[in-house]
Amino acid sequence: MSMKYLYNFIFFIFITALTSCSSDNDNFPTDDEPEEISPVVFDINEVPYTKLSDYHFFKAPIRELEPVYGVIPYEPVSTLFSDYAKKKRFVWMPEGVSANYLSDSEVLDFPAGTILIKNFYYENVLPGNTTKLLETRLMIKKADEWMFANYTWNEQQTDAFYDMEGSFVPVTWNQDGETREVNYQIPNGVECFTCHNEGEIPLPIGPKPQNLNKNYPYATGTQNQLEKLKDFGYLNSYPGNILTLVDYHDTSQPLDLRVRSYLDINCAHCHSDNGFCNYRAPRFAFNRTSNPENLGICIVPDEDISNEVNAHPTHIIKPGHHDESEIFYRLNTTQANIRMPSRGRSLIHEEGIQMISEWIDSLAGNCE
Amino acid sequence: MMASVLAINLNAQLTFNSQSVPASEYFKMCVVDMNGDFLDDIVSVDHTNINVLMQNEEGGFEVVNYPTAFAEHVPEWTLAAGDFNGDGYNDLIYGAFSGVSFMLSDGTGTGYTTVVPGNYVFAQRTNFVDINNDGYLDAFVCHDTAPNIYFLNDGSNGFEYHQGGLGDYPSGGNYGSVWVDYNNDGLIDMFIAKCGGIEARHTDQLFRNNGDGTFTNVAAEANMDHKTQTWSSAWADYDNDGDMDAFIGINSNTSGGHLLMRNNGDGTFTDVTAGSGFDIYNGLSREHAPADFNNDGYVDIFGNGGRVFLNNGNMTFTPVPAPFSEASIGDLNNDGFMDAFAFGTVHYNNGNSNNWLTINTIGTVSNRNGIGARVELYSAMGKQIRDVRSGEGFAYMSSLNTHFGIGSDTEIEKIIIRWPSGIIDIIENPDINTSLVVVEGEHQMGVNDTNTVQFSIYPNPVKDVLKIRAKTYENTTYEIYHLTGSLVQKGKLENGKINVSQLNKGIFIISLNQDGKKSNLKFIKQ
Repeated sequence: MSMKYLYNFIFFIFITALTSCSSDNDNFPTDDEPEEISPVVFDINEVPYTKLSDYHFFKAPIRELEPVYGVIPYEPVSTLFSDYAKKKRFVWMPEGVSANYLSDSEVLDFPAGTILIKNFYYENVLPGNTTKLLETRLMIKKADEWMFANYTWNEQQTDAFYDMEGSFVPVTWNQDGETREVNYQIPNGVECFTCHNEGEIPLPIGPKPQNLNKNYPYATGTQNQLEKLKDFGYLNSYPGNILTLVDYHDTSQPLDLRVRSYLDINCAHCHSDNGFCNYRAPRFAFNRTSNPENLGICIVPDEDISNEVNAHPTHIIKPGHHDESEIFYRLNTTQANIRMPSRGRSLIHEEGIQMISEWIDSLAGNCE
Repeated sequence: MMASVLAINLNAQLTFNSQSVPASEYFKMCVVDMNGDFLDDIVSVDHTNINVLMQNEEGGFEVVNYPTAFAEHVPEWTLAAGDFNGDGYNDLIYGAFSGVSFMLSDGTGTGYTTVVPGNYVFAQRTNFVDINNDGYLDAFVCHDTAPNIYFLNDGSNGFEYHQGGLGDYPSGGNYGSVWVDYNNDGLIDMFIAKCGGIEARHTDQLFRNNGDGTFTNVAAEANMDHKTQTWSSAWADYDNDGDMDAFIGINSNTSGGHLLMRNNGDGTFTDVTAGSGFDIYNGLSREHAPADFNNDGYVDIFGNGGRVFLNNGNMTFTPVPAPFSEASIGDLNNDGFMDAFAFGTVHYNNGNSNNWLTINTIGTVSNRNGIGARVELYSAMGKQIRDVRSGEGFAYMSSLNTHFGIGSDTEIEKIIIRWPSGIIDIIENPDINTSLVVVEGEHQMGVNDTNTVQFSIYPNPVKDVLKIRAKTYENTTYEIYHLTGSLVQKGKLENGKINVSQLNKGIFIISLNQDGKKSNLKFIKQ
């Protein structure tokens, strides 16, 4: 039982004890400070709603993304690169249900009615240096299966509207003093499933214990995210020792762990036994990349992309030689028919490539 | 004995002379005729331009650029060509990761209109093909992430988006479609090479055309429901027994190796990979496509590992080095040998002494290119067949001309063309080592009594100058009639060239008279 409900229960016993002595009181005891009820509107048979505001996830104006009671922010330890878009993520569950821990590397077993909310936006968008929300993606667990619902923000930034058709939005923004441009792609609905599936079953990617096990600065104070979910009643229990990814931005962490964390969140959903790219050798999930073969180290690539990249990568990863490693060329291109990841990016993630190149160059050994 | 071995070795030689060409746009993946003269041109494209290296009859290329309105989708994945709008010039479809663009010729050969339908598709192999056999080319697009889509052409410059009935696995996995009449019923069927995900997603599909606009996946009963990880397949009659066999080439070896499947002639296939040479070849590729590179009359396979797999004629193949893997194939110096264009370089086939014939099909009742037509060639070595196809292998577009090598045969008994319309043309004793334009319906048995082809005409459609191919131009007169029967022009054939620039647009018949023998040929004036 969660803390929230435990407190309620104890309080109920206490009030009952107080009032049972008095006679002629048939009224159910009331709380002087009633337990806050989440104002989120959710009917499992009615969703997806036509507007994001219909759910009441956020306080007005909703573009501020200030969550209401019951909408809990979270952030993965290691995050997907999406053309430098920023993201704010939240989780909400109906009253009286909670998620179960399965293992460090598996997505939490969320109960029916769970909604994962992921907002994509850019800051310092030109010309006005404003914040521009582009899309809010929901994953809603209906009965046993996750469904996808995508909402596209209007130009006025007053609301977002259900749209599974996808579109392109040109964005020019300032990042660290540099003007950048992207033709941001809001995906078509069928694309969601390309990454968000395991053996043809739709599944979230980020909320795994290995990727949630870190502190988050909540309005009420900084707390471990798993602990927060448990305290709030959204998670039943979890073990003390969790094999956790590192934030690949954190240069104080070991380089190999940063790279493995990067590859996990950016690549593992397809490059897994049950993903769509299961026919290639790499297995990029964090719990499998302690094995160098799964990283592609000294593995000869299936496809010869020499002509495409005007170079001669000999292995997926060739220790000491990023310029002879196919992974470098797959990441360092925007050409759709060879780039990796093939979805979700049209720009090159320069910082990611720099890190991976540095790591490859630091590896010893040869492939003979 | 020694002599015959030596001869085989000589014929098996395959060498190329590589020359870079000034194809200027980023996407260099197309060899097809663009100006209606049936000489293969080199096409490179990007968002706002179609760059064509127009092959001159005298050799070499003329650079022509066709600026286009911005195409949102460029051929990041695949490109196909065909005369979608039936105006005599090939149109293009660009397959991109979030949609397709059409480049439709403007009817004059001077420009293209950009049409972006806007429907989402993670485009893989694209094909032009007349799916519903109404005489108008349609466009088919493999979908990586959802059921396949297609655009049905209503023949009046309009087309309609469809999804469903041609590969409906919910999450896609469709990489390489090829349209081929596998059961010789005159209807064009389709095979899809599939890849990735769970087994059901990457199980190949074979769609039998039911003739009523519907298709049925018969892969299981045909023994073609392979689970191998494949992005393309190469279809040809590799054993020249009159039906289309298939090479199902892999792009990953996680679910089995290359497969060579012999068509049993009864709607089923037998795995004959063992001993074929592909059982011991481990190369992987997206691209596998057919072409007879050494003109020996046995179709070879290319696209993998910098090799051409020469067909030994007995369902075994010998890999020989080639300076290309994936490429667009066509005859880029009009010498009757298939050349390759890839990454800005033309690899000219140095050829050999074998003989050949190239056929240019012009549909009248059927679609303009004659895509879907079955072409049969009969010579001393036997019968060969080809399908006219747009979009083979995975990404590239190769010539729409139908090319046959005939080895050391010096005569062709006859050509039979079975058009999608059902019309059958028979051309007896055509010349060899040349190209032959066949207009649908002009050589039907009992309709024309032309026993020998004395003349061929090009370009067709024609704008200004109609050129006549003939052994001689002596004692030859001509008359040009409008389809209504009225004589509009006549004269003496001086040098094989007739100025027709003053004719109105439309269909005309030219009647050529040489020493009392008449030939009637149809042409389209633009």
